[in-house]
Amino acid sequence: MSITSPTLTANTMPSTTSAPEIASVLVVTQASLSLVAGLSAIPFGIVEPGFRVLSLITILVAIAMFWLARNLRRQRRWARRWVIALEALSLVASLLLTVLPIGAMRGPVPVLVNLVMPAAVLWLLWSRSGRAAFKAARRSDAGGAA
Amino acid sequence: MYDIAGEHAVAIGAAIALLAFLWLVVRVLPVLANRRVGWAAALLDTYRATSAITKLAAVLMLVSGVIHLVLIPSHEGITGVLFVIDGLGFIVLGVAALFTSWWRRPAVLWLVATIAAYVVWVVAGWETPDQIGIAFKLIELVALGLILRLAQPGRRTWPRRIWRAVAFPLMASVTTLGIWVGDLAHPDALHAHAGAILQPVAAVATPEQREAAARLLGDTRASIARYKDPAAAIAAGFKPGPVSSADPLRHFENSANANAVLDPNHPQALVYAQTKHGLQLIGAMYQMKRAGQWGPDPGGPLTQWHQHEGICFSPFGFEFSFETPFWTCPVGSTSITTPPMLHVWIVDNGKAGPFAADLDKTVQKQLQGS
Repeated sequence: MSITSPTLTANTMPSTTSAPEIASVLVVTQASLSLVAGLSAIPFGIVEPGFRVLSLITILVAIAMFWLARNLRRQRRWARRWVIALEALSLVASLLLTVLPIGAMRGPVPVLVNLVMPAAVLWLLWSRSGRAAFKAARRSDAGGAA
Repeated sequence: MYDIAGEHAVAIGAAIALLAFLWLVVRVLPVLANRRVGWAAALLDTYRATSAITKLAAVLMLVSGVIHLVLIPSHEGITGVLFVIDGLGFIVLGVAALFTSWWRRPAVLWLVATIAAYVVWVVAGWETPDQIGIAFKLIELVALGLILRLAQPGRRTWPRRIWRAVAFPLMASVTTLGIWVGDLAHPDALHAHAGAILQPVAAVATPEQREAAARLLGDTRASIARYKDPAAAIAAGFKPGPVSSADPLRHFENSANANAVLDPNHPQALVYAQTKHGLQLIGAMYQMKRAGQWGPDPGGPLTQWHQHEGICFSPFGFEFSFETPFWTCPVGSTSITTPPMLHVWIVDNGKAGPFAADLDKTVQKQLQGS
């Protein structure tokens, strides 16, 4: 098969939509991990009242993240703003925890989950192609309305 | 809880080397294309025509493939054979993602099979989950999520829509729970309990070590007797720790003793049990300054230090839960690792002995009821 085969078109996607798509997958991954963290804290809530509240908040945040990821994929500008705010908050908190001597970041997994993934989402949404995707969506919305 | 297995550490170097190599290829291709090298120009055209999401999925599969191949020497038998097949499969699919249109469905099947196999291996106890294994499951999960997004939606019936929405989160959740269950079901010898790692020590204590352990117990008991009354401890600079509904034991810490090392006259904390008649002094706790810095163990295996890790700490109510294998905690709590500590129980601690990481549950119940 030639490498310039027409079948390649199946792998292509307008580059302006790739950034929100990738960001939404990362946010869904984060939401799934948060959901498990929230659900797993429920048994501790039996004896620890504080974790009852924290697990509920975590589950609600995870559901909100699923919703944001869905709307990120649909290139909603408000979803982009909310995700940027949440990821920036998460990244700053993780960076602070990295500085504190409490062993919160030890090894590749916490670095990937708490630093690389939020940084990647922020970069994708702030990048030129990310901004262009949401601007293009606004133009098409305006065009549709007209 | 989840460390990096020594024989797996090479995977990090291999992943970084592969990413550096791919970056170099992407930089060199335009140069070769400008010099009218035919294959380079065609490859560059293909690369530029491929969407970013496909490129990222391809890179993640290539990383996973190379890691599987690099880790073959540390996996024997059927696992090693599967690593060969898996590694080669991921490399073929990673390359195919750039040049073909048929790669998506096989890639989804390959990723799901790999992740499921890992979970099965961990649950069965054939593989110990470590940070390298978990990190690469995360990479494979992200690759799976990306490829699922590439799929063209078929007939938009409700069951299909719901399946498209829940399939990936379900896979991520099941993977997390599977690794967790496997780890809790097959703790290694250095786990006192979930969330506590023991200092590596020799199996049997020498007579000298037994004598030293008995001396440490006697010295500690004699030294802390003066703090039987909690008011005396407070007057001496010990500060009562917060009351936790989950833990009936109260730790009174003295920051002035932070620099002392296993000094019976200057323990870092005193431990009291909440009884019906008030607080009863039941032991002392020695603690080092930094995580991973094991203290001196004069009694060898009898005075084994332990370190708490893999736990989520909530400052609201001073509560604890376990963090997930992907190092996530509920919102409002954070993962912490404590510096190593050694408890010396001056009450009879049953079979667990006077230096056990935890107070025996039966003893604890008796104290609470007394």
